[in-house]
Formats: sequence, C-alpha cells, structure tokens
Amino acid sequence: MLRSKGIRRLSYILMALIALSMVVPFWSVLVTSFSTRFDSLDPGLRLWPSLWSVEGYGTLFARVNLWLPFANTALVTLAGTLLHVGLAMLAGYVLAQPDLPGRRLIGGIILLTLTIPSQVILVPQFILFRQLHLLNTLTALVISDAVSAFSVLLMKTYFEQVPKEILESARMDGARHLRLVWDFYLPMALPGVLTIVAFQIVSRYNMFTEPLLFITEADKITLQIALNSVIAGKDTTSTSDFIAPNAQMAAVVVAMVPLLIFYPVMQRYLVKGLMVGGVKG
Amino acid sequence: MRALRTHLPLYLLVAPVLIYFALFVFYPLGQGVWLSFQKAGLLGPQGFVGLANYHKIFVARTVWDAFWNTLTISAGITIFGTLLPLLPAIALAEITPDWLRRALQTTIYTPYLLSWVIIIGVWMNTLSPIGLVNSALIALHLIDKPVTFFASIPWAQPLLIGQTVWKDMGFRALIYLAALMSLDPEIIEAATMDGAKGWHKIRDLVLPHLAPVIGVVFLLTLQGSLHTFDSAYLMANGRTAEKVTTLALFAYQKGLLQFDLGMASAAGVVLLVLCLVVAAVSRLLVPQARL
Repeated sequence: MLRSKGIRRLSYILMALIALSMVVPFWSVLVTSFSTRFDSLDPGLRLWPSLWSVEGYGTLFARVNLWLPFANTALVTLAGTLLHVGLAMLAGYVLAQPDLPGRRLIGGIILLTLTIPSQVILVPQFILFRQLHLLNTLTALVISDAVSAFSVLLMKTYFEQVPKEILESARMDGARHLRLVWDFYLPMALPGVLTIVAFQIVSRYNMFTEPLLFITEADKITLQIALNSVIAGKDTTSTSDFIAPNAQMAAVVVAMVPLLIFYPVMQRYLVKGLMVGGVKG
Repeated sequence: MRALRTHLPLYLLVAPVLIYFALFVFYPLGQGVWLSFQKAGLLGPQGFVGLANYHKIFVARTVWDAFWNTLTISAGITIFGTLLPLLPAIALAEITPDWLRRALQTTIYTPYLLSWVIIIGVWMNTLSPIGLVNSALIALHLIDKPVTFFASIPWAQPLLIGQTVWKDMGFRALIYLAALMSLDPEIIEAATMDGAKGWHKIRDLVLPHLAPVIGVVFLLTLQGSLHTFDSAYLMANGRTAEKVTTLALFAYQKGLLQFDLGMASAAGVVLLVLCLVVAAVSRLLVPQARL
C-alpha cells in the first residue's frame, strides 16, 4: 500500500513476530496439557510432548465437576444475551422515532450511564442484590448488564436507516409496535443485531467479576470461576490435592474450545461491530 | 391528550430500559455516595460519620498505593495500548495475499475474545519457572536461575500492562486498519511520484489520516484501564498484591472481604471522581471525544 520495499519487508517480519507471540504461548499450553503429569512438572524447552497423554484431562474431569458450571454459563449466556438484545432493540426503536417528545431527554439519560463504570458501583450493587434476595441466583448474572447504552446507540443507528414509510404515523398500540420491530426492523438491522449478539455471547461466557461477587454456592458457580479455581489452584486445601500443570492447562484448553468453535461463525459480526464501535466511539 | 395516546405505547416500550438503569445503575451509584458518609458494616449503615471514611482512606497507605497503582497501570496501558497497535495496522495493510492477511488478522484478534482467566493461565504457563521463556533464557545462558515472573514485585505492573496491551492489540489494530483503508491510494501514489520515502509517507500521510481514530482509541483505552479489575484480581498474590491492587480491587477487598462498606464506598467514589476528571480533561484535549 505504501509502495516501499523496506516497509513491506519489515511488515512481514513484524507480523510474523506478533503472530508468534500469540501462537507460541497457546501452543505451549496445548503441549503442556497433553503431557504426562511427570513431564509437565519437568523444566525444559518443550514444544512437543515427549509422551502424548490425556492424563491431564483425566485428572481435570475426575477432580472438578465442569458440567454443572458449564450448564450454568450456557444458561446465563443464552438468557442474558436474549434479554440484552431485546431491551436494546426496544430502546433503539423508540429513540429512532423522529418526532417523539422527550426523545432527547431519554437518550441523554441512557448516554449518562456510559460515564459510570460498573466497577465503581460493585459494592452497592452487591448490597442491592442482597436486598432483592438475588445473591446466589443465576438471575443476578442475567440481570447484570441486561442492557447497555452502547448497544442501544448501535440499534438506534441501524434503525434510523430503516425507511420511514413503514411507520403508520396514526395510532398504534404497543403490540403493533412490537410487530413492526419484529417484522421489519429486525430483518433490516440484522447485521447490527447479530453484532450485539456476538459480543454479548463473548462477554457473558467470559463474565468473571459478577459471579465472583454474587455467587458463593458451589452449585451456582460459572465456568470461568470453576476454571480459575483449577488454574490458580485456589481450592487446594492440602498438598496432596496439588493439581499439576498438565491438568491446569487442560482446563485452559477446555475453556477455549467453545469460543474457538463459535469464533469462525460469528467472526464477521465481531469485526464489523468493532468498526462501528470504533467510528462511533 | 391525543398526542399522549399516540406516544404512550412508545414510552411504555422504553420504560423497562429506563427502570433498569434507574434501579441497577443510578440507585447503586447514589447509595454508594451516601454510604461513603456512613459508618457501615455487615449489618448495614449505622449512622452518619461525615468525612470520616474519606479521612480514613486518605491516611491509609494502602489506599494511596491503590491510587498510584491505578494511575501507573492506567498510564502504561493507555500509552502502549494506543500506540503499539499502529504497527500491526500499518503492517497488515502491506501484507498481500488476501488469505494471509485475513489469517494474521484472525490470529492477532483472538486473544481479545478470551477471558482473563485464560489469558493469565496461558502466560503463567509460558512464564512459569519451568516454562518456555525461562527454559530458553537458561539454555542461552542469559540467566542462571529461573525468573519468577508472576511472583516478583518489579515484574508485577509491567506484566499486567503487557498482558492487557497484548490481549487488546489485535482489536485496536483492526480499528486502525479500517480507518487506514479509507486513505486515498492516489495520495500515496502522488507522494511516491514525488520521491517520498516510506517512513515519510507514514509520518506525513498515514499518521495524520489516523489521528482522529487514534484520539478515539486513546479515550476508550484510558477510560477502560482506569477500572482494571479482573486482570488485577487474577494476578494479585502474596508477593505482588501491593503493586497490582487497583482502586476497584481495593473497594472489592474492603467491602466484600472485610465488610467495611463505608470505606469501600469512599474508595469507589474516589475512583468515580478520578474517572470523571480524566474524562473531562481528555474531552478538552481530544476533540473526537464528543459523542
């Protein structure tokens, strides 16, 4: 693009280095996870297991019940994503109405939430969830981040491009509005909707702070918390309960698999969304 | 009255969102500010104490540590996280077979999608005393005994900053790349005809073209980095805690582990004020900040 041989050559070298900084650590994780317990405790430059073994995976699944946390995460991801997209579409639709009195005020209130980082309100949110008896429920994880100003703005931007002729300006009740959103707005703004869906799935699956705060009962924990207890060895109570690196790295691999399956399917929207996000800031 | 009847369904449709923000964002925010003036423990608020919580946190060394940690970690993430991704962005635009460029894009974007649990797990493995990096350094005789990267005070902040920058590099690079694609090739063509060197084209054409986007990325990175929590929580251990405890992490520890809700809320308010001040200052400095 820049028509300079030197820069072109440097570009290949630079990209090779950056890509290697991503590939090599993940490869090393894979190799460790497929090593025997003994090998994984042995220092050395290992880029290939001296003996392929699924011992680590065996230890992982024998020691930790991952299915329940996985089911919890799947449930929270599904319900949370649906709720988030639904609410964002409703608010986006209303804000896209050109002549609604108070539209600017509503938009301003929603925008204001962008200035309040969720980490600032962690403690009072914990108190609120306790008052609402939502601690130790998956509902708490679904409600956290039920909608965001960013998603509302994204939907509004997409909905504003829908031709206005569809709108029957005369009296419409709520059900008619919902029909209209479902029949016309959703299909026409599908790329935007799928962008929000893609990012929601990723962020719900990765959710860490909220389950850390709101969930303490073992049967409600989510995948990331369960994996962290393995990787950080945090629930090791005695030295005999020591989890070797091969099992720890098996946990990392297991946690990545669902995302790596999902990634190619949704990649288009993940990239497209960040373009819109990057431009709109 | 007629107008109200026409618009009422619309207000009802947006009501759930407004109620959600009121109940789960604005109310906790207000309660946080209110609690910061209360003596509050596990049993809830026990009376107004004025500025006592603020006095307590400003004489406590740990809070000042958390305050400075937040600032240095945030500065590191913002500076490197804004500037370094320019390199892969410019480089990606040069890579020609389309499939190769797409493959590289996908590769460097992947860490952005992974959770902090995974990222820390991956680097703890690579940098462990028996891991790849230490083994390589020992094999090359650069060090005698392994460096305990994740349990050493001088490495704590660089590692936290480095991992964050590394995780988000692909994401930021793709934002820059998208902006770069709108640069008119004819301008480059003309500059080439005039005999401009590659570096000069980057300095005089590419960077000025990207300047507005760099401003936006700068703001996003700055605001995001001020509330560093997950990565700090996962990196903090007995050795490194004093270097990676940010204000957000401090508030969590005080409030939910030690049940001093008043002091935790005060730390939260300090963080909020810090965020608002930084947002206001950066909005003055960077014209793209206005939404």
